[in-house]
Amino acid sequence: KNITDFSLNITDCNQVVVPEEVFFTVAAAGILENLLVLVAVIRNKNLHLPMYFFICSLAISDMLGSLYKTLENIFIILCKMGYLTRRGDFEKKLDDAMDSMFILSLLGSIFSLLAIAADRYITIFYALRYHNIMTLRRALVILTIIWTFCAGSSIAIALFSHEIATVIPFTILFPLMMFFILCLYIHMFLLARSHAKKIASLPTSAVHQRTNMKGAITLTIFLGVFLCCWAPFVLHILLARFCPHNPYCACYMSIFHVNGALIMCNAIIDPMIFAFRSPELRSTFKKMFCCAR
Amino acid sequence: MSALRLISNRTSQQALSNSDYTWEYEYYEYGPVSFEGLKAHKYSIVIGFWVGLAVFVIFMFFVLTLLTKTGTPHQENTESSEKRFRMNSFVADFGRPLESERVFSRQLAEESRSLFHFCINEVEHLDKAQPSQKRPDLESNIHFQEVSRSSGTLEEDLNCLTKFNIPNFVNTEQNCSLGEDDLLISEPPRVSESKMAMPSSHRILD
Repeated sequence: KNITDFSLNITDCNQVVVPEEVFFTVAAAGILENLLVLVAVIRNKNLHLPMYFFICSLAISDMLGSLYKTLENIFIILCKMGYLTRRGDFEKKLDDAMDSMFILSLLGSIFSLLAIAADRYITIFYALRYHNIMTLRRALVILTIIWTFCAGSSIAIALFSHEIATVIPFTILFPLMMFFILCLYIHMFLLARSHAKKIASLPTSAVHQRTNMKGAITLTIFLGVFLCCWAPFVLHILLARFCPHNPYCACYMSIFHVNGALIMCNAIIDPMIFAFRSPELRSTFKKMFCCAR
Repeated sequence: MSALRLISNRTSQQALSNSDYTWEYEYYEYGPVSFEGLKAHKYSIVIGFWVGLAVFVIFMFFVLTLLTKTGTPHQENTESSEKRFRMNSFVADFGRPLESERVFSRQLAEESRSLFHFCINEVEHLDKAQPSQKRPDLESNIHFQEVSRSSGTLEEDLNCLTKFNIPNFVNTEQNCSLGEDDLLISEPPRVSESKMAMPSSHRILD
């Protein structure tokens, strides 16, 4: 599969191939899971809250990422079977559209995570004014602005991907957002620790260490999953732009499909660590499946 | 992804063949890469990147765990009167700078303190103004008040608090039960009931 068309010097780092079945399975699982989350939030009136709308936005962006990979695989298969030409105009436009879908998914994920963190921050620090600050209408407006911005940026990046001016902001955005989200959560964490300290000062306090460990684990899982799933791909883009002919960079870029599979795994893991932690959502799922039987 | 197309459109150094645009998994279209004379292992960037990522995540975990160290259990005063404990310790202990917070600025403690002050003022206000009227929503939202008030249920409340989980602060269920993922502040009270609280809140939080 990884034989090139024309003769090259032999590259020692051959493209690492992930079987198509694996891609399809992972992508389908991601799409189904996120679709379930969307359906559950839409059906249950109790879940029509800003917090769940932000989680839905994350689910949509994860779905887009998996959908992109599925479509790409389908098109590759069609090309191999000869139904589509390789150099047609239509295919190029399709390729552009799919690239922008993928970048939209990445940007949507980042901004949804940011919105979720900001929403939780407001819940903690402005608890009694939360309903005034974060009304349903404002949440929808924020989501509209985020998605419009992401759509515009993704189309611009897909069209002008060869310019340095698009690659650099794109790769700077990623760690910047991560750092900002980390700061928000650390601040929340500190307040929670103060609370726990107060409770710990009461006579029975053997349990407080376990409490705080769980918080640290949860936060590490959040940010760790996001980092591990998206950072390889972002590094790939950087290396492809700046050192495509370096043998070390070429070897890193040969695991490109593994990076793509990681992004799809992120689509599967995200609902588990965000949506399924809510008891209300879980009970909605149970009702949906029990009624379906 | 069609990053292969992105790269091949741009490069002009090598003499490309006609297939500069393809759907296949072929990648090295921008020319040969020579692998002679490599000093380090050829996958060194891959290994270095993943090791660096793992180290960073573990480091972040340890930093967060250190943040969660709450100190010795009996460092706070243990008065007999619960009410005095509730009022005094919240105010007094936050006046003391927290030893392990050298890294973070004082302002973080200030902000936390302001929230506590507000909650304390809230309860005082309620107790003075309307002693007979029950305000279940507001009071049930301030769990540490409940904990200190009823020592009988102290154990179960502490057990609920041990399961606190940072993400799910807001409890969306209408009945304010201490579920597995609840934190201290479960659901913000409705606007109409906090009209009395507004003056003090604006004073403290703004």
